[in-house]
Amino acid sequence: MEIAGDVTTARDMGLVACTRCTRVWPLGTHKCGRCGHRLHSRDPHAMQRVWAFWAVGLMCYVPANLAPMLRTRTLVSSQENTIVGGAAELAQHGNWGIAMVILVASVLIPVGKFIAIAGLALGLRRPGALGPARRQQLYEVVDYIGRWSMIDVFVVAILSSLVQLGAVASVSPGPASLFFALSVIFTMLSAQSFDSRRIWDIEAVAPPAAPPIPAPPVTKAHPA
Amino acid sequence: MTDPSPPTTPILPARKSLLERVSIVWVIPAAALAIALGVAWHSYSSRGPLLELSFENASGIRAGETELRYRDVTVGLVEGVSFSDGLDRVLVSVRLDKKVAPYVDGDATFWVVRPQVSARGVTGLDTVLSGIFIQGIWNDKPDGFIARHKGEEAAPLNRDGRQGLRVRLRAAPNAGLTEEAPIVFRGIEVGRIGTAELAGDGTSVEADAIIFAPHDKMISSATRFWDISGFSFSIGPTGAKVDFSSLAALVSGGITFQTVVSGGQAVEPGALFVLYPDEGAARASLFGDTNAEALNLTAIFQDNVAGLAVDSAVDLGGLRIGRVSALNGIVDEARFGDRRVRLAATLAIQPSKLGLDPDAGAPEALDYLDRRVQEGLRARLATASLLTGGLKVELVDTPNATGTGINRSAEPNPVLPTTESDIADVSASAEGVFARINALPVEEVLESAIAMMDNISRLTGSDDIRAVPGDVRALLGQAQGLVGSDEMQALPGRISSAVGEIETLVARLETEDTIARLSGALDTATAAAQSVDAAVAGVPDLVARLQGVAAQAEALPLDDLASRLSNLLDSADRLIDTDAARALPADLSGALDELRQVLRQAREAGLIDNANATMASARSAADDLPALLQRAQTVLTEAARTISGYDANQGVGRDLEATLREVRRAAEAVAALARAVERNPNSLLFGR
Repeated sequence: MEIAGDVTTARDMGLVACTRCTRVWPLGTHKCGRCGHRLHSRDPHAMQRVWAFWAVGLMCYVPANLAPMLRTRTLVSSQENTIVGGAAELAQHGNWGIAMVILVASVLIPVGKFIAIAGLALGLRRPGALGPARRQQLYEVVDYIGRWSMIDVFVVAILSSLVQLGAVASVSPGPASLFFALSVIFTMLSAQSFDSRRIWDIEAVAPPAAPPIPAPPVTKAHPA
Repeated sequence: MTDPSPPTTPILPARKSLLERVSIVWVIPAAALAIALGVAWHSYSSRGPLLELSFENASGIRAGETELRYRDVTVGLVEGVSFSDGLDRVLVSVRLDKKVAPYVDGDATFWVVRPQVSARGVTGLDTVLSGIFIQGIWNDKPDGFIARHKGEEAAPLNRDGRQGLRVRLRAAPNAGLTEEAPIVFRGIEVGRIGTAELAGDGTSVEADAIIFAPHDKMISSATRFWDISGFSFSIGPTGAKVDFSSLAALVSGGITFQTVVSGGQAVEPGALFVLYPDEGAARASLFGDTNAEALNLTAIFQDNVAGLAVDSAVDLGGLRIGRVSALNGIVDEARFGDRRVRLAATLAIQPSKLGLDPDAGAPEALDYLDRRVQEGLRARLATASLLTGGLKVELVDTPNATGTGINRSAEPNPVLPTTESDIADVSASAEGVFARINALPVEEVLESAIAMMDNISRLTGSDDIRAVPGDVRALLGQAQGLVGSDEMQALPGRISSAVGEIETLVARLETEDTIARLSGALDTATAAAQSVDAAVAGVPDLVARLQGVAAQAEALPLDDLASRLSNLLDSADRLIDTDAARALPADLSGALDELRQVLRQAREAGLIDNANATMASARSAADDLPALLQRAQTVLTEAARTISGYDANQGVGRDLEATLREVRRAAEAVAALARAVERNPNSLLFGR
C-alpha cells in the first residue's frame, strides 16, 4: 500500500478511539467515558501476543519436522516419512517438482514466516535496513501466504482418506501433521496479532516530529 | 490544537501490576511448553534402557525398523547399528520396553530371525514380508537388567520358551550328528539338537540338545541316544529289512533315545551322552563304555595283506574288544633284518570290553594283555568276511609260543607280538579251481567221446551184429526142426506099435511066464524114460548157460559181446548139431526097439507055457503096477515141472516144451496101457 504524502494519524493528534464504541477520546484517557472500555492507543499486549503465538508456533514446528508426517503401509513394507525426508525421497525418485512444492510449502514458507514475524517484531524497536513500506509489504505477504502452508496438511488429509485399500496399502497421518497444522495456525495468529500500525509509529516517532499538523476531520486509520 | 482540551483523565500510577503488563496469551505458550515438557518427561521416564547386542553380522537389521520381540510380541526397537571396537562385531542398540527390562538378565538370549528353508520346513516366513526381527528369550525371573549381550548366530534350543533338560551329545565316531535335527521319542518330537561343533579334543563332534519338559523325566543315566536319520537296509536270516523312522528324519536326520535298562539316576543339566549310530550299538554300549580311554597297541604283521582296514574288528575269543584305528607300513631294517614293508596296525582296545573291573583303564588292560601274551597270546590276521575278503585282527592263543610279553617300551605304542595269519582266501581258492577247470582237456575228451560214438555206430552197423538175430532164429529153427523131425514124430507111432507088440507079448504071456520079463521090460522103459528125462535135463543147462552168456554179454563191451554171442551161438549150434543130441531120438527108438526085441524074444521064447505059472507073479506084478505108475507119474510130473520151468524162458524153452509135451504124451500112452493092464490084467493075457 502506498501512502502518498504526509499522513496524520489519530495518535499524532493526541486522540485515541475506543475500540468497542469507536468514541474518540483524547490520548491518555484511561477508560472510555461512554462504554467504559479501556482505552489504548496501541494494544500494550499485542507484541506479547505476537511473541507468545510465535513461540507456540515454533514449538509446534519442531515436532512437526521430527515426527513422521505420513505413514505409508503397503503389503510388504511400512514407511514413515517426515516432511523433509518425504521430500528428499521424492527428489531421489526424480520428482523434483513435487519435492520443491513440498519443501517450499512446508519448510521455506513456515521458516520464512517465523523469520519475518520475528524480524518485524524486532524491527519495531530497532529499525533495520528495511523501510516501513517494505516492512508493511512483508507483513502483508506473511499474512497472505501463511494459510498456504496448510497445503501439506490438506495433502495428508486427502491421501489418508483416499488411500485406504485395506490390507494392501494404506496411508495415515502421522503426529507431525497435527503439529504442523498447529504450527501454521499459531503463526497465523501471531501474524494477525501483529499491529502493523507500529511499523509506522516508529517512523512518526524516530525522526524529530514535525510541528503539529491540524487534525483532519476524519482520522485515517491504517488497516489493522 | 483548536479542539477544547479534553477533560483531565485519571492518571494511573506508572507502575502497573505484573498481571497487567503481561498478556494472558502467554498462557498458551506456557501450556504448550508444559505439555511438551510433560510429554518429553513422560516419554523419557517411560522409555526403557538401551540394550546393546553384538552380532557377527547385522544383515537386514535397520535402525528404527527392526523390532525386538519376545514371544512374538514387540518389546523393543533397534535404534542404532554400529561397530564394536576393532570392527569385529556389529553392535545393535535396542530400546527396550521398561517393563521387560528387569527380565533381560544374564540368561537372556538374542538371535536374529530370518526366513529359513530347510528339509524340515520353512521357518520365519513372516519375516519375508515384515523384515527380519530380533528374537529374545529370557526366563520369568527379574534378576536385573544387563545392557550388553552377545547375540547368538542361530536360534537357541528353547526358542519357543519351553523349558527342558539340556544335555550334551557327543557323536560316536561313526554316528552322524545333524544340526537342528529333532529328537524323537516313539514318534513324538520331544527335543531338538542344537548347533554341532567340534569337541575340545578335536576328534569328535558335540552338540547341545534339549529335551522339553515333561519328557525330560525320561532321561536318566541309563538312557542311550542313537541316530535314526536315513534308513538302514539289512539282510539277515529273517529276510531283508528296511528301517526308517519318519520321512522327515530320513531327509533331515533325527535321533531318538530309550532308557534300555532300569536303575539309571537322574542327570544334571549339561550331562554328556554319546550318540550311537544305531540302536544295536546303543544297546551294546550298556556293556562297555566306548568313551573310556582306549588302549592303543601296535601289531606288526609280516605279511602285507590287503583287506585290513581302519575300523576292522579286533577280536579276542570271538568277542570284539576293539578296532583297528590306524594302518601304516613300516620299514625298519635294524629290527627286522631286511627292508621289506611290513603292516603296522594300531589297535584301539576298549579295556571295558575285556571284562576287567569297570574302573579299569588302559594300564590295567595292558597288564592283563601282557600276562596273556606271556602265556602265548598272539595277534594274527584272520578273515572277517568270506564274501568281501575283509580281514580282522584276532588275538589267539598259540600253544608253542615263545618270547616275552608286550614290548612296552616301543614307540609310539606297545607292540603286540603277532603270529602267522589265518586267511581263508576264497578268491585265491576260487581262482585255483577255475584254473584247474581251465586246464582240463575238455576238447580232447570231447574228441574221444565223438570217436567212441563213431565206433559204436560203426559196430552196431556192422553185418556181424546184424546177423546175430538171424543166427538166433536159425538156431531156434533148428531146434524146432529137431523136435519136428520125422523120427520124433514117428516116436509115438513106434510106441504104439511097441505097445501093440506088448499086447501080443502079454497075450503070449498068458501062456508063458513073461511077467517077469515084462516087469524087466517096464523097468527098462522107465530107465529109458529117465534117460530121456536126463537128456532133457541137459537143455535147461544149455539155457542156463545161455542166460549166463547173456548176462556176461550185458557186462561186456559190445564187440566182445557180439563176438561171444556168435561164439555162443556157434557153440549152441554145435551143441545141437552134436551127435549126442541127434542121437537122443535114436536112443529112444533104440530103447523101444530093444523093448520090442525083448518082447519078441519073449514071444519067440515060447514062454506061453509058463503063463499060468507066471500069472500069479503077473498078478503080483500087476499089484506093483500102481507103484510103478506112481513112479512114472512122478517122472512125468518132474518132467512137466521141468518143462513148466522153461515157460519163463520164452523162445527156446517153448520149443523144448513142445518137444517134451510129445514125450509126455508118449509116456501117458504108456501110463494108459499100464492102467488098462491094472484094470484088466486079463487083457494083457487075452490081448484085449
